[in-house]
Amino acid sequence: MPEMTLKSPPLPRGLLARSVDLGTSRISAAAVALISILIIWHAGSIVFRPWIPTIPSTFVEMGYDLTSRAFWGDFALTMGRVLAAFAAASIAGAVIGVLIGLNEKAEAFFQPLLALALAVPDPVYIIFAILAVGTGELAGFIALTVAVAPFVTNIVRSNVHARDTDLDEMAQVYHLPRGVRLAAVLFPQLVPAFLTAMRFSFALSWKLVVVVEALGQPDGIGAAIFNSFRLLRMREVAATAIIFIIAMQLLERGVLGRVEKKFLRWRD
Amino acid sequence: MTQETRPSILKCEDLGVSYGAVPAVGRLDFDIRKGEFVAILGPSGCGKSSMLNVISGLRAPTRGRVHVKDQELFTPASKPPRLGYVFQSHRLLPWRTVRQNLEIALAASEVPRRDWEARIDEILSILHIAQFKDAWPMRLSGGQRQRVSIARALLVDPAYILMDEPLSTLDEVTARSLRQELTGICQRTDATVVFVTHSIREAVYLADRILILTRGPAEIFEDYTVPLERPRDYDDARISEVEADIVRRVQAPWGLSVEKEKAVA
Repeated sequence: MPEMTLKSPPLPRGLLARSVDLGTSRISAAAVALISILIIWHAGSIVFRPWIPTIPSTFVEMGYDLTSRAFWGDFALTMGRVLAAFAAASIAGAVIGVLIGLNEKAEAFFQPLLALALAVPDPVYIIFAILAVGTGELAGFIALTVAVAPFVTNIVRSNVHARDTDLDEMAQVYHLPRGVRLAAVLFPQLVPAFLTAMRFSFALSWKLVVVVEALGQPDGIGAAIFNSFRLLRMREVAATAIIFIIAMQLLERGVLGRVEKKFLRWRD
Repeated sequence: MTQETRPSILKCEDLGVSYGAVPAVGRLDFDIRKGEFVAILGPSGCGKSSMLNVISGLRAPTRGRVHVKDQELFTPASKPPRLGYVFQSHRLLPWRTVRQNLEIALAASEVPRRDWEARIDEILSILHIAQFKDAWPMRLSGGQRQRVSIARALLVDPAYILMDEPLSTLDEVTARSLRQELTGICQRTDATVVFVTHSIREAVYLADRILILTRGPAEIFEDYTVPLERPRDYDDARISEVEADIVRRVQAPWGLSVEKEKAVA
């Protein structure tokens, strides 16, 4: 029989210690992920030279971009397009989502259209919009709104269906006016859905704006990336893309994170 | 004024509810007068919820008439009744503070806005929750939330208050304290209460009258007047005697076995 050793049971650990452990392990995991990406990038830049730029040269290029007036001009243009498309898609998608979530006839009407809209690949909208209204600002705006809104609608609609109907009954018993029912009973229940939809909408919007600019616009970050690609300046492509991705991530986490905290403070 | 001479608040005549061909409420006739505390007692699935839906104005009956203060409901000219409702779960809006939850009910009532603050303060202090006026409901215990729910029901000048097993989700200690306070509050405010419960003892302790229903589809088996003076003590032997008397009466119509009878008691 193997010799058994008795170990004393582990000491109970405090919540703070566990939180610190969790925080440390998250930071460690993120650091490992970042280092892994840099290793893969470095290996890629050796194997696929010159098509994958080296890490130092890309960082130098990022420094040039960040001090360049042309880059910030493109950045402002792209941001304007992203925000316009994001706002239009979020509002249109949320309104239709609430409508079809509450009204069976509206749902019967919109359901097939929604299924179709969700199935169409995004570039198809972009191509059709460019063919229909030319390569101006309107084409991108229409394509992005039509591409993103169905996702928002789908998220909001599902959450309207999943709402707490006991609260609807309470509102009915106490004769709350329709406006109050929407503003005080329904919409607060949908805040998490709206936030999820906004995150999704924002993430999809900026990615699609870059594609629209690359395909049909003379300016903006997407056009800058495409021009660098045509001239085979891969260092510029990587630098511009990295700065833009970081900026979008900061915006998404910063602004939407604050909105989330404000509207869901009753959960804390 | 004796109970018989008080005005009728809620009167149901030949009330019936069916879902398609399936009857949920057979036939109900009862009259509840101003200031009465009436308990509704019936076995599970007898149609109490369907009855509550009708007398709360949420659903029209399939047959019969409902009068609130001499006005017939569910006619084209009638307004829905102004009532307070204490649900089994509190049904407070978690994203609104206690005060905001009460204000939202007041917003739909006929109480002038200038009176809201004083009225909210008064009702919260009666229910001993004044210190939680600006708290989120999630910060409150189950008993405190149910107190807020009772405050909401009392605030709106209701013709009558419906309470659908409001204490059934609370622990026994909290339920006891709230039961005791409920009788005092209802007497002070002269509220007319329809209280649905599964607990015979609770019904005996709280109510002036108990409408005992048959198994579904519900009909009134007996309109039982509780033969006890107030104030009452929940652990009083006389309550146990009345409770045992009701158990004996419902044994046959509810199909209770001796074991079930003990469980009910």
